[in-house]
Amino acid sequence: MDVGLLGQFVVNGMMLGMMYALVAVGFTLFFGVLDVIKFSHGDVLMVGTFAGFSTYLGLTAIGIDNAFVQLVGVLVVSIASMALLGAIIARYLVLPLKSAPPLNTLLVTLMLGTVLRESIRLFYPDGSNPKHFPSLLPTDAWSFGSFTLRADSVILLIGGLLVIIGVNVLINRTRLGLAIRAVAQDEETAKCMGINFKMIVLLTFALGSGVAAFAGVMNGLYYNEINFGMGLLLGVIGFSAAIVGGLGNIYGAILGGFLFAGLQTLGAVALPFASAYKDVFAFAVIIALIAWRPTGLIAEKTSERV
Amino acid sequence: MTQSLKDKLVILLLAALGTAFMVTFIAIEEQTEIFALLLVAAALIVAAAKFGVIKAISQCLSRNEKLMNGAVIAAVLVVVFWFREDHFPLLMIATVMMYVIACFGLNMQFGYTGVVNFAGAAFFGIGCYTAAVLGDTSVPLLMVIALGGIAAAIIGSILIIPVLRTRGHYAAVVTIAFGLLFRTFLEVNDTLGGPQGLRVPGMNLFGWDFNSNIEISENIELSFYMNYVILALIMVILAFVLMRRIERSWIGLNFDAVRLDETAAACFGIDIKRWKITAFTLGNFLAGTAGALYAMMLGFIAPSNFAFSDSLILVSIVLLGGMGSLWGTILAAGLVVLLPEKLQAIQEYRFLIYAIVMILILLFRPQGILPRGLRAYIPGWRG
Amino acid sequence: MEQQQETVLAFRGLTRRFGGVVALNQFNMELTNRQIVGLIGPNGSGKTTSFNVLTGIYAANGGSIEFLGQDITSWPAQKVYEAGVARTFQRSRLCLELSIFDNIMIGNHKRLNHGIMFNVFQRKALQKQITENHEEARKLLQIFNPALADKMFEPVGTLRMIDRRRIEICRALISHPRLLLLDEPSAGMTHEETRELMEDILEVREMIDGLSIILVEHEMGMIERVTDKCIVLNFGQKICEGAYRDVASDKLVQEAYLGGE
Repeated sequence: MDVGLLGQFVVNGMMLGMMYALVAVGFTLFFGVLDVIKFSHGDVLMVGTFAGFSTYLGLTAIGIDNAFVQLVGVLVVSIASMALLGAIIARYLVLPLKSAPPLNTLLVTLMLGTVLRESIRLFYPDGSNPKHFPSLLPTDAWSFGSFTLRADSVILLIGGLLVIIGVNVLINRTRLGLAIRAVAQDEETAKCMGINFKMIVLLTFALGSGVAAFAGVMNGLYYNEINFGMGLLLGVIGFSAAIVGGLGNIYGAILGGFLFAGLQTLGAVALPFASAYKDVFAFAVIIALIAWRPTGLIAEKTSERV
Repeated sequence: MTQSLKDKLVILLLAALGTAFMVTFIAIEEQTEIFALLLVAAALIVAAAKFGVIKAISQCLSRNEKLMNGAVIAAVLVVVFWFREDHFPLLMIATVMMYVIACFGLNMQFGYTGVVNFAGAAFFGIGCYTAAVLGDTSVPLLMVIALGGIAAAIIGSILIIPVLRTRGHYAAVVTIAFGLLFRTFLEVNDTLGGPQGLRVPGMNLFGWDFNSNIEISENIELSFYMNYVILALIMVILAFVLMRRIERSWIGLNFDAVRLDETAAACFGIDIKRWKITAFTLGNFLAGTAGALYAMMLGFIAPSNFAFSDSLILVSIVLLGGMGSLWGTILAAGLVVLLPEKLQAIQEYRFLIYAIVMILILLFRPQGILPRGLRAYIPGWRG
Repeated sequence: MEQQQETVLAFRGLTRRFGGVVALNQFNMELTNRQIVGLIGPNGSGKTTSFNVLTGIYAANGGSIEFLGQDITSWPAQKVYEAGVARTFQRSRLCLELSIFDNIMIGNHKRLNHGIMFNVFQRKALQKQITENHEEARKLLQIFNPALADKMFEPVGTLRMIDRRRIEICRALISHPRLLLLDEPSAGMTHEETRELMEDILEVREMIDGLSIILVEHEMGMIERVTDKCIVLNFGQKICEGAYRDVASDKLVQEAYLGGE
């Protein structure tokens, strides 16, 4: 195969993997603290991207057209507003259902995802059509033979990597992270140790949702197109990735994210006669993996008292 | 007046009232009139609940199950014959019935047994595509319906291993992934028509063409949808009887035990795998038969009919009606299918409204609008 | 009599580990026909674990279990029940939204016909089976609490704790097991209620042929009154076995309970 094409596949696969991993990290954080799945995660990402897009439009309208300022504005508004939205969802939809069957939380957030999606479609100006997301990153490119490496891709990959490392440091090296891990281990004990359980849950949801918003902006910057339905598939893939990696485990989520992207890329490369089947292939492998390792590649700790 | 005579009168009155409501609701077109009718109905129900009438009625109904079932069938027949010449109302009624059958299937799976399935639309779709593929062959067309169900059950069996080995969220993601896989597959597969879908030939039973209007005499001509409505009604009755009989048997008890506590069930000899497979397969079969008939009625199917949001609608119907509640499913299917068709104002917003209603239901009335009662093995018998 | 001495259950070197923790360590015990054995020990000493390994919920890491002459060590829970072992759970595991009758019939699984054809099409025969089993469950419930026998079609979730315990025990007894495992039946009940419950169990024992019982219990009065012998576990190991009086005065046992060094 042509080196340039191969390189393109690799960069593209890594970009996808980074986005999936960022989404999966959210799923796994929420599951860690509350043992729940917040399925609206993908749609929160989508709303975050639209919030960022609106910020860009707003900044342009008031005459600020420096790309760097715009980028910072887009990121700040998008991440902050989604962190807030995530905390609100946790406060009013997820926590009230804490004692209900876990499936109910999944269903409520599935429905919330539909509400977010439909609200953008119906109420965002011309929301049912795709929007052109601006390129706010430098557009330099380096050529290596037939392969062209674009600067914006490199920046996005480094940015994603930094966010993942940041989350990891936050979880493993800070007091907040310690509290989150304590709650994930054992809610009752954590409460006894003076940890404000509710606050930690809200902060965790804010953190996960902020990360998703970052992934959404990343998606917009890379593909330059956003639409109201983009969150659903990203959400399902992120959820699958978190599951395949093993819920509650951050490394599992990252592994799952890159695995799924790898499968899609492999599907596109290895099935050249039928590259359209790449998603079919990726989902089939995911189902097979779950059948093989029902609690994820990095197994979830389970202990049911009998 | 004796109790039983009073009961009978109440049921007849209710059936008449229900029939009148359905006929009016389907017949009127004026949006304000529809709103007014719905408001009156809602007010009546709230008032009835307030004064304990609902409770009295439900006791009366549970005492006279056979009569109630008969009255409902009669009411449906009256409504159907009222609209005998109108295509659209009959199409709507038949659609409701097919949703009911598919949702009975889902009820078997997670209402009874707790096996989650977020790919209901995919199994419905397998039935549709089976009908489309078999449509031009010489397979007897009543058989096509059965084969639609069998195809759904067989393709579903691919998922049996992951479904058996996983629980909760892990099981949910398996079926969600399958639903997406199925739709993507249809969209990229050219032999199955790709995104454009396939044309489905209509039914032809013993030389009786289902897709032409029925001429009774010179000036009476029934809509061809009448064929499908009657066939769908028969299928609903059969599915209902199957669901009821299973619920009121040791199998239904095993299903419940598997759903409520797998560990305890295993400690009392209940074969978890066997009952999960039974429920999953039977449920997919029901969804498949509904799909096959639906495809023949519409005459045309495309992958966009089987999106994730369609699976969510099926799940919503089951939840809205109440998990495991058969009458609840029927009522909820009616509401979910008919309301957006009648209220054009909400047509565009229907997914949004469904979703909001479902969130409210899950937060404030998780047992659904007509919660399933305790198992009465033999109607009227309490030992 | 010959039958009196028949060995019903034997553990030989039974071992179960959870990660680094040895929950059961080389546990040996024997139980003969109609014997009532008390299994005591501090929390976490392996009592419930031995039930879970015996009933096939957990696999054993070593040793063997023999029940009525068969090696059942690796049998799944379903097969262990079919062989005649029924149990209650430390934390009540009834299906709260099902009726009393439903819950008891779950325990009667091996004596019911589960064929699809039978259940869906032979309704008359099914209804006969239902009414017959209903009558039997009613008789059993009447021993424990006659009021419950009249409420067989009410949900278990509305009942008091003691009635739930009673139903759990009826669920275990309805299938006429050879071995009944009771996991802390007195939990959450008063002394008086516990005494009442135990007397009812003894009454039922007279009606079931060759029923042996293993009782896990913290309530020593109950252990003293009903058991033929006691086994004391500590950190997964058997530290003492014998009649309650002897066991209670054993130095090792007292240390285990008082946490002595």
